[in-house]
Amino acid sequence: MKNRKKIATVWLGGCSGCHMSFLDIDERILDIIQLADIVKSPIVDQKEFPYVDLALVEGSVTCDEHLAEIKNIRAKSKMLIAFGDCAVMTNVTGMRNYFPLNEVLDTSYVNAISNDEGGESPSHPCLMKLNDKAVPLQEVVTVDFVIPGCPPDADTIFYVLQEFLNDRTPNLSTAHKLKYG
Amino acid sequence: MNRLDFHTKIAALQQLDKTKTVQHRIGICCGAGCISSGSEEILKKLESEVQQRGLSEKVEVIPTGCMGPCNHGPLLKHLDQHTIYQKVNCTNITSILQQHVIEQTLIEDQLLFSDSRTNAHADYRADPFFKKQCKIALRNCGKINPESIEAYLLQDGYKALDKALFEYTPEEIIGEIKHSRLRGRGGAGYPTGIKWETVYKYVNNEKYVICNGDEGDPGAFMDRSILEGDPFSVLEGITIAAYAVGASKGYAYIRGEYPLAIKRFESALKQARKWGLLGNQILGSSFHFDLEVRIGAGAFVCGEETALIASIEGKRGTPKPRPPFPAQSGLWGKPTLINNVETFAAIVPIVLKGGEWYSEIGTAKSAGTKVFALAGKVNYAGLIEVPMGTSLREIVFEIGGGMQNQASFKAAQTGGPSGGCIPIEFLDVKMDYESLLSLGSIMGSGGLIIMDEHSDMVDVARFFMEFCMDESCGKCVPCRVGTKMMHDLLQKICINKGTNKDLERLEELALYVKETSLCGLGASAPNPLLSTLRHFRSEYETRIHPSQDTVQDKNQSG
Amino acid sequence: MNTIHVNINNIEIPTTADKTILDVCREHKIDIPTMCHLKGLSDVGACRLCIVEIEGMNKLQSACTTKVADHMIIQTNTDRIKKYRRITTELFFAERNHVCSVCVANGKCELQNLGYQVEMDHVRYPFLFPQCEVDTSHPWYVMDHNRCIMCTRCVRVCQEVEGAHNWDVMNRGHAVRIISDFNTPWGESTTCTSCGKCLHACPTGAIWPKAIVQGQLEKKPEIIEELIEKRKMHDGF
Repeated sequence: MKNRKKIATVWLGGCSGCHMSFLDIDERILDIIQLADIVKSPIVDQKEFPYVDLALVEGSVTCDEHLAEIKNIRAKSKMLIAFGDCAVMTNVTGMRNYFPLNEVLDTSYVNAISNDEGGESPSHPCLMKLNDKAVPLQEVVTVDFVIPGCPPDADTIFYVLQEFLNDRTPNLSTAHKLKYG
Repeated sequence: MNRLDFHTKIAALQQLDKTKTVQHRIGICCGAGCISSGSEEILKKLESEVQQRGLSEKVEVIPTGCMGPCNHGPLLKHLDQHTIYQKVNCTNITSILQQHVIEQTLIEDQLLFSDSRTNAHADYRADPFFKKQCKIALRNCGKINPESIEAYLLQDGYKALDKALFEYTPEEIIGEIKHSRLRGRGGAGYPTGIKWETVYKYVNNEKYVICNGDEGDPGAFMDRSILEGDPFSVLEGITIAAYAVGASKGYAYIRGEYPLAIKRFESALKQARKWGLLGNQILGSSFHFDLEVRIGAGAFVCGEETALIASIEGKRGTPKPRPPFPAQSGLWGKPTLINNVETFAAIVPIVLKGGEWYSEIGTAKSAGTKVFALAGKVNYAGLIEVPMGTSLREIVFEIGGGMQNQASFKAAQTGGPSGGCIPIEFLDVKMDYESLLSLGSIMGSGGLIIMDEHSDMVDVARFFMEFCMDESCGKCVPCRVGTKMMHDLLQKICINKGTNKDLERLEELALYVKETSLCGLGASAPNPLLSTLRHFRSEYETRIHPSQDTVQDKNQSG
Repeated sequence: MNTIHVNINNIEIPTTADKTILDVCREHKIDIPTMCHLKGLSDVGACRLCIVEIEGMNKLQSACTTKVADHMIIQTNTDRIKKYRRITTELFFAERNHVCSVCVANGKCELQNLGYQVEMDHVRYPFLFPQCEVDTSHPWYVMDHNRCIMCTRCVRVCQEVEGAHNWDVMNRGHAVRIISDFNTPWGESTTCTSCGKCLHACPTGAIWPKAIVQGQLEKKPEIIEELIEKRKMHDGF
């Protein structure tokens, strides 16, 4: 068991659909944990981000918190994998990028019909601050591998993990697992 | 009018000219540059002054085309005594008339080159600015009234057409042009004679000649100045070309931003028609030819020949893949000869003096002369024509009179947005097609911008990329998206936010856009970027901060 | 017509000189990706995906617009061409707002397929995120400029096959947009016959019928050619 690897999965600006798809590998997760420990994940109670071999990062970088987080993750991960369309090409999280940020916030917090009169956009210093644009991971850190797809198929996720955990390099294209959307 | 009548009329004109009592022919530059600094008012003032003083017998005031040293305008040239006054205005014009013309004393400090190194100011021709030049396409510019066909005829005007129609077969003219080794002056430098021959060889009873006057490079005004200063010479050149290739209809495509050039060229057309030099049975021969002006609506890409043709056809001005070349299938699908204004302006002297004469000027591969719009930080900026192979050093330091404010030369930008920058190490480069190409620049249409030590080369690249991005027609992906992408990346570097990855992406995109674009605009759009990267890479690198770079350190897991 | 011989990817192929390089390649199952080409419509050489190397020509030529000639030696799949095709694809994705997961054409999109074909796993260039309109004014159809790649297939099918010339192009550079009539809402068009040919010609989810949702778009681009063939038959009678 000396070669056991460490895996982290991270949820940034995304819908957690990629994580759902990850869970859809079902019992094959047993094959994964034969080779590695999942040491940090939304389903693992761990506060600090540990040093890991593989980090699967879902979602795009949308706010200052994400930016700090992804830089920390990059520094502590041997291999960083952009996990899903949002992480790879911003996808739905990037759909706010066509509009100025204040317009986006006002649309949700002020102008939406469901809001009470006199609503205002949140600005409390404790809250994370949205960046002007949501960007894919590769715009702010070096990404080693990408798994596009919204969400990526469970088969694809399992394929990629299995290859990396066995010290092989997956190739989505030749494996016919390339998919956007 | 048949040939004989024409000759009789010319003889009468010459006789009339000889009997004139005028001793002082005073030219006032009425090129667009000098007009913008008020030369038309000066002209009117001088005319009324001459009238008032009763000098009409002795003094003739002539509005002329561009005289050359534009940044010293408005200019006044004494055409008989070869002196030029600079920065003329409505006030000092009377003293010039009084002192120079009436009292015959020079006003030394108002003469052009009065601050110059030589004692050249008394005769402008002795100053390197003019001495180093060789005016062929510009031979009449700044010398004659561009709106008078009589003035043109007195300068051997239409002698070449007369000779071409009656003494030469089309093959012989094409032979002369080939022999002259004239190359297209629009930028690409394709041998003109071969182009003419190709069009000539396509058998079709309908062929077209197009004059490309859609000069769009920022800082370039060669074609404008020729059209404004000597429209007849262009018109005669086009007519000879039409005869040579067998076309009976032509178009002059002039950009709408040149209203004066359009006005003067249209006036030339009218007068030429009146004289029977355009229309049916020109000079009594069996040759018919007429020309129409088409006005460009401000798209740079319409200077590209296939886009220009589409624009004449009334379509959206976007380029088409070549082949087929216009020579085979051009306007309305017919064989079409398309040459630049400056190319046509060189035709008349070649026909008159022979291809041999022209080919002896210039260098082995680039014959003849080239007109440059010398701009930027030199003391004498303006319109110049030099033999091919003149060194950049001669142009900047002799013709241009060196750098302004004793600044040091940093780079010369040739070929506009399609060209590149030449650094100080290559100041001795010969200005010809091949030498410029080997430095990663191009001859282009003749824009020449001189930059000093204060110029920021990354910003220069960004400026030209912005121009190409805005002027891309949007048809093909590499040019439409590639130029936008490159511009954004350059912008990022300009504001010191660029990363090494951005530089890599820029270089990759530049090659991609260059090699895959549909037309010449896209293919040459990366040139300013590539050449500044080649010669001024350190300026890019100092703008890149590693701290901005993506986090790359991959620590070992604990 | 006389038989000529061309050499494509080191294979000698007999053909005739009236064909384009793309025609010959398609006949012989040589894979060349295209976007602006649609059988039946005129070719414009705009997408630059079908670029090929021709010996003796220093420029890359678009296969859809270049006719074959005797003894032409063509390479369609060199490393350089593959690299450039991938960049073109990436630029397509980066230019406008292609959000596959919410697109009606998801799974049936030529742009997606192109991405898979050129093995694009991600886009290496920054996304431009332009603001684009969605024109829903037509009673039956939607024009979503976010998904338009400016292939102009809709423009050509409308002009050349339907003869209505409702679509055209406006602006320059990255600001180009497909317009209906003189840039008025599609629903107010005086030329559109609502024939729907542009829907089938469109390679992406830019033009689609209302009342469908993500992934439901059915396109039949081949009907354009069928239609032209049927007309020819009709003319023959």
